[in-house]
Amino acid sequence: MADDKLLVVDNLTMYFHTRDGVVKAVDGVSYELNSGETLGVVGESGSGKSVTALTIMRLIPMPPGRVEGGDVLFRGESLLKMSDNEIRKIRGNRIAMVFQDPMTSLNPVYRIGRQIAEPLILHKGMSKRDAWARAVELLDLVGIPHPESRVKDYPHQFSGGMRQRVMIAMALANDPDILIADEPTTALDVTIQAQILELMEELQKRIGSAIILITHDLGVVADMADNVLVMYAGRPVEYGSVDQLFYRPLHPYTWGLMDSLPEYDVDEKSKLCPIKGQPPSLINVPSGCSFHPRCPFAQPVCSTDVPEYRIIEGGHGAACHFAGDPGFTRAEASPVPVPAAEEVAW
Amino acid sequence: MSEILLDVKDLVKHFPVQQGVLASRLGKKCRAVDGVSFSVRRGETLGLVGESGSGKSTAGRAIMRLIEPTSGSVTFEGIDVLKLRGKSLKDFRRNVQVIFQDPYASLNPRMTIGEIVTEPLKIHRIGTRSEQIKQAKELLEITGLNPEHINRYPHEFSGGQRQRIGIARALALRPKLIVADEPVSALDVSIQAQVLNLLGKLQDEFDLTYLFIAHDLSVVQHISDEIAVMYLGRIVEIADWNMLYKEPYHPYTQSLLSAVPIPDPKLQRTRERILLVGDPPSPIDPPTGCRFHTRCPIAQFPICADVEPELREVAPGHTAACHFAKPFPILIKDPEDAGE
Repeated sequence: MADDKLLVVDNLTMYFHTRDGVVKAVDGVSYELNSGETLGVVGESGSGKSVTALTIMRLIPMPPGRVEGGDVLFRGESLLKMSDNEIRKIRGNRIAMVFQDPMTSLNPVYRIGRQIAEPLILHKGMSKRDAWARAVELLDLVGIPHPESRVKDYPHQFSGGMRQRVMIAMALANDPDILIADEPTTALDVTIQAQILELMEELQKRIGSAIILITHDLGVVADMADNVLVMYAGRPVEYGSVDQLFYRPLHPYTWGLMDSLPEYDVDEKSKLCPIKGQPPSLINVPSGCSFHPRCPFAQPVCSTDVPEYRIIEGGHGAACHFAGDPGFTRAEASPVPVPAAEEVAW
Repeated sequence: MSEILLDVKDLVKHFPVQQGVLASRLGKKCRAVDGVSFSVRRGETLGLVGESGSGKSTAGRAIMRLIEPTSGSVTFEGIDVLKLRGKSLKDFRRNVQVIFQDPYASLNPRMTIGEIVTEPLKIHRIGTRSEQIKQAKELLEITGLNPEHINRYPHEFSGGQRQRIGIARALALRPKLIVADEPVSALDVSIQAQVLNLLGKLQDEFDLTYLFIAHDLSVVQHISDEIAVMYLGRIVEIADWNMLYKEPYHPYTQSLLSAVPIPDPKLQRTRERILLVGDPPSPIDPPTGCRFHTRCPIAQFPICADVEPELREVAPGHTAACHFAKPFPILIKDPEDAGE
């Protein structure tokens, strides 16, 4: 049965071994991804959301990185055990990636057409002429006007939004099964972001790919995702369908993220309720629940025992000792009183 | 309502375009800010929003005379800022301080944070050395940093903490106006909320007036009393913070607001998104007539391509520059209501 699953990430653990110490960048991440599904991965910078994707793609240099445990199964085959040659057949072909910064991820000295044609020649064995013609088609597909002439242009002749369209065209060149989009719209203006998100949805419908959408923007997740994984300090803290996560969030960190956002459409302005402190260093992850120093609900057990990830209802789970307890909800839970002296720092 | 602290009229900043041998002789210029007028009342916050290239940062810098405006007038407490020279300009700068976007680039890595925060005091020769240090420690305390860290260097701090250092530096001279140019854009949401709360607290404590420049509409809405929307060097709409979100009149504001994804999946599914086609045109050669007409979903020809619309009052305290301005609610709270 496992073979039916498009992608299974099972307790993936990857540490960087640096001179300063061991960086626990990915610490036991598990999820499943089905065809046509969009998984949103959210978390702040340094939460390990990008590194997890790069580990799956085998794009982390080893060393300093080292997979400490767990596995990644793509259609039942382990991506981590594949030889370099085998993974190259999958990367950019069955699993493609779109990066955040469209300026640095395109090669400035090659024409756009050549860069789009490259995966076609490599993976599909197309002739140069065919690949070039297909590049024009792809540019047209992602909505770039005058594709016949633009295909001969260099990246600097494109605007940020157009470059991101080119990146998507490249990623989709071989109709991948999985598209990993790492903050694909973060560098773009909102009106351009709306265009790119719309384009990704449209192409997903056409090709049927699954999308892993890595972002820090809960709005983008609400808009695009079917399921959401929330990460904190390299660990998954909550997973659920987009509705479960937004309307019945279980983990205090998820509550904190939501409370940090200014509310729309209000008549009275209320103070924001930020999460106190800052994300921990991954070299020196706090004991027990890694969120406990910032958690307003932390109890003594939180600093000693690492909470297990538990499913609370219908596939919706969280890694918190108190998740799902009666009364422990975003609206009802009452914070543990903080000594006044400690609060001053934030 | 309090008095007007800063009054900007027809502010223009054109940059010469240096590309090409003949370009400058042909008189080609980048019209970064092209006739912008607004005013900010004492103790209030004006939010200036727009996408990249709309000229919002250039406008902010021209007001502080970090760059010299091409024409227009800027009046601060009744004084014509553009005529100031020498000592009087220095006095003006004491009253107007800036917070920059990038907390990594805006702090000198070779100076301790004590040196960074006391530098404005040194430049303006305020207090003795020990008074300056005492002052710096107080400022660090106020902005939520540990005063004992005064001898540390910027690299020892996180992004959010560095932004607090930048805020402490801006506060050192007890300015009346702070121009905050995308002060939270580089920060994670939880840290962003901390800094926004800090800015709000400081406004009350020090009776500050903010010109808050940002591209993130939800952030601007949270902090502003009044919001001005810029497009290609022009202001297209100004309104009170709650009016702008409830009933935007300009089609650009409407599409901008509708493009912001809201963290509410059900609402997001029912909401209609006004998609703009294409990229914003270049400010070197802005479209004739209304600058938005090339992307506008409701443009009518020939008027929109020929006649530049003036900012006019469309509702009390609400102005928009559009020939066909009409209200269009973008944010509907209740998904049940959205169906009709």
